[in-house]
Formats: sequence, structure tokens, C-alpha cells
Amino acid sequence: MPVRSSDDVPRRTLLRRFPVPRNFNVSPESRIETGKTWPAPVGTTRTRKFAIYRFDPHAGRNPRIDTFEIDLDDCGPMVLDALIKIKNEIDPTLTFRRSCREGVCGSCAMNIDGTNWLACTRFISDTREPATIYPLNNLRIIKDLVPDLSHLFAQYALVKPWLQTKSLPPERERLQLPEERRRLDGYYECILCFCCTAGCPSHWWNPQRFLGPAALLQSWRWLSDSRDEATGERLDELEDPFRLYRCHTILNCTRTCPKHLNPGKAIASIKKLLIERRS
Amino acid sequence: MQRERPLSPNLQIYRPQLTSVLSITHRLTGVLLSVGSPFFVIWIVAAADGARSYAAFADMLGSPLGLALSFMWTFSLFFHLCNGVRHLVWDAGYGFELRTIYTSGWAVLAVSALLTVIAWIAGLRLGA
Amino acid sequence: MTGVTHWWRQRVTAAALIPLTLWLVSSLVALGAGGYENFVAWLRSPLVAVLMILFLIALFQHMALGLQVVIEDYVHAVRVKVFAVLAVQFGCLALLVLGVVSVLRIVLRG
Repeated sequence: MPVRSSDDVPRRTLLRRFPVPRNFNVSPESRIETGKTWPAPVGTTRTRKFAIYRFDPHAGRNPRIDTFEIDLDDCGPMVLDALIKIKNEIDPTLTFRRSCREGVCGSCAMNIDGTNWLACTRFISDTREPATIYPLNNLRIIKDLVPDLSHLFAQYALVKPWLQTKSLPPERERLQLPEERRRLDGYYECILCFCCTAGCPSHWWNPQRFLGPAALLQSWRWLSDSRDEATGERLDELEDPFRLYRCHTILNCTRTCPKHLNPGKAIASIKKLLIERRS
Repeated sequence: MQRERPLSPNLQIYRPQLTSVLSITHRLTGVLLSVGSPFFVIWIVAAADGARSYAAFADMLGSPLGLALSFMWTFSLFFHLCNGVRHLVWDAGYGFELRTIYTSGWAVLAVSALLTVIAWIAGLRLGA
Repeated sequence: MTGVTHWWRQRVTAAALIPLTLWLVSSLVALGAGGYENFVAWLRSPLVAVLMILFLIALFQHMALGLQVVIEDYVHAVRVKVFAVLAVQFGCLALLVLGVVSVLRIVLRG
């Protein structure tokens, strides 16, 4: 029963959603309505329904859920393959971000069956029937599955994710011991897909003031880099009750990271560093 | 007229997982304990006031509603205590691997249920 | 109060509450449905009185800090938030003083 890795897709579910009304606490323009259904072509045997969040910014209507039935024998194995097939063969207006199709760019991050993951590394066989596809949570939607990530990137910029030095630059590279380089493992690999931040309840309730796991993971990446010389200033920036301390170790972030990183641990390390420098 | 862009759903569609469910339960039990704490103080005040006030308070606590609420309060106490220990371990920097998060989570649930049952059986048997 | 001091105090009171709560619960379980005389006799002993007062101090500090975080998370309207935080702080202080005074009344009655 214990989950071993964020890959683990649960087979049995006691509760698929929290027991709140479908449009609980939702502003009028965000209420979701039922949309169209597109059945599979006649003669198909292995099919899967995909219930996908749709929003057309030019139609002047509310978001809706469209259901597409896909012939799995004529589709690639990943959820992204299904989305591309729908766009190519059924509804060309379906809009989503995608690029590398191998889980390294972070473009196709979305909420699949209730948890955030990359569409290109989620097997269709691991989805429910119907598979529910929503955009990343608690973000303004530009169109269909494309959220507006600008304020998440602004929060990322706020932690100053670059090397800050006061000493003169050396003749060649800034040297680092192998142990010092190893301290970056598990943090530099972040692809900024924002699955973690979009899945953090604390970020849902305080999106403007709490930086979120992605930005804070990167903040730790720079705090633990031996070549960086602005540790004090970086920590000063995080001391107020909201930027870092809205984290209550809920750990949805670690559970959902598609690159198997650990934002929860990074944030705990920052909190420890803040205490250590006071003692 | 420019409509505001819709906000994608969050709590309405996100899957409840052990991580988020135990976390909200920790908060809920904390609030329940806070709501029950004035009654703990009243207990001591009743004892300071004399035998009659204490008897009145004990009657209230012994009523079916009082017992039910006390049982809920005791479970909240043990859950918040065990999960609190789990939190302090995280604050020290340990136990962040997913496997450990899940195992410790199930352990907290089991231990708090067990402690509640043991405390009530022992309490009802010893005092009587 | 910065986030750091709040966080640290919450953890210190939590650590203090672990042994104090275990002590309190096991003592109350041992007393069971003992009645007024047993309860007062138990509370009158100096060690118990001191532990009880320490428990109340740690409890109400931990409670005030915890409820403040909950309010900050969910209440965003500034006036409501300030009122709620003040209510929590005063309430916890009042309960603490009430509890300590009552324990002292029982001890000093002799």
C-alpha cells in the first residue's frame, strides 16, 4: 500500500475528489458546464473516453467538459498521443502545450485523473475510464489546457535564480569539490513544469504571497550552491510569514513531481538553514 | 466587455491523497482541540469552585453527548500528537522519501486509533 | 513576529507538549471516573500542579500560534483578519490565566 515513488499510479481509490460540490467556491466565469461528446468510430473494440476541460476565449461562454472516445489500437501509448490524435482527427481546436514528448521540457504538464503530471510520460493504460484531463490547478486559463504561467515565472524570478557573487571572477571556471557539486543533485534537474506549485493547497489559498514549491526548490538550489555568495540576502528575502512559511509540509508537491524531485525536503532544508543562522 | 479568464479548478477536482488528507486532518484536529480546550479549563475551574460545581461538570461530561464529544476530542488529541511527532521529524530534516512519508502516515493513523481505544478502555475500567 | 520566530516557537511548544500531554493523559486515565476528591487530591500535589501549569502555558501558546496560522491562511480581508487574530490571542491568554489561577486556588486551599 505505501507509495514508493511519484510514478506510482494508485489502482484503487477510496475518494476521487474531496466531497465538495463540483463548482464549489468557483467564480461565475469559472463554472464548468457539460460540453459535447464525440463517440468512437464504428467497429472499434479497445476504446477509452477522455473527458477534457475546454475553454474558448472568443466564444464568450463558460468552460466545459468535452468527452472524446479514442480507438486505442490506433493511438500511441501516452496521454499526449491521445491529445494529438484528437487534435489531428477529431477536433482541431483542442489546444495544449507540448514540445519534447519525452518528459524533459515540462510543456505538457496538466492534471490527469486528479493529479498533476506530464501528458507525455503518463501511459493511457494507467488512466481511468473516462480519463479526466484538466489544466494545472488554480491558474487563469488562456485556452483549453493552456494556463497563464506568468505569475508563477514571476515568483521564480523573485528568488533570483542566478549566481550572485561579490568577489572578482576567477581566471577560468569557479571550482567546486565533487561533494559540493553533489549537493545540487535532486534540485538542478527541475524542468519548471509547475506540477508541484499547481498542486499545493497552500498556494491555492495564497497564490500571490506564497512562492510555492517550484520557486522555493530553486531557491534551495542556489542556497546550496557553494559558488553563490549571497546566502544571507537570499535567506533575508524569505523571512516573512508568507513567502516561505505558508508551507505546512502538506507534501502534495513531492507526491506529484514527474521528475521525482523533492520540493518538500528542499523547503525543510531552507527552514533549517534559517534557524541555524539564528543560533 | 472583456471577461476575466476562468480559473482552473483546484480543490474541486484534485485527488485526495494521503499527503493532503492527513495534513488537513492535522489542521482539523488542531482546531477541534482548540475548541475543546475551554472545556478543559472549565473542568479545572469547576474543581477549584467546589464539589457541587465539579459534580455538575462531571454530569455534563458523562451525558451521551458529552461522552461522544470527549471520544472525538481524545481521538483528535492522539492523532494531532502522533502526526505532530511526524511533523517534528520532518522539521529536523528526516523522513522525506515518499515511501517513508506514506509508511509513517499509515502508522500515525493506526497508532492514534489504537491509543484512543486503549485510553478509553483503561479509563473506564481503572476509575470504576 | 517574523516567520522564523513564529515557526520556532510553534516547534518548541510542540516538543514541550509531547511529554506533558502523555503525562496528563496517563494521569487522567489512571484517575478514571474517580470523582471530585480524588481529582483535587491529585492536583494539589506540588509536582502535579507545576506540571499542569507548564502544560497550560505550552498548550495555550501552541494553540494561539496554530490558530493564527490558520487565520492567515484562510482569511484575507484585512479588518476581519486583524480582529480574528486579536480575538485568538486574547482568548488564549484569558484561558491560560483562568486555568493557572484555578490550579493555584486548588493548591493554596491546602
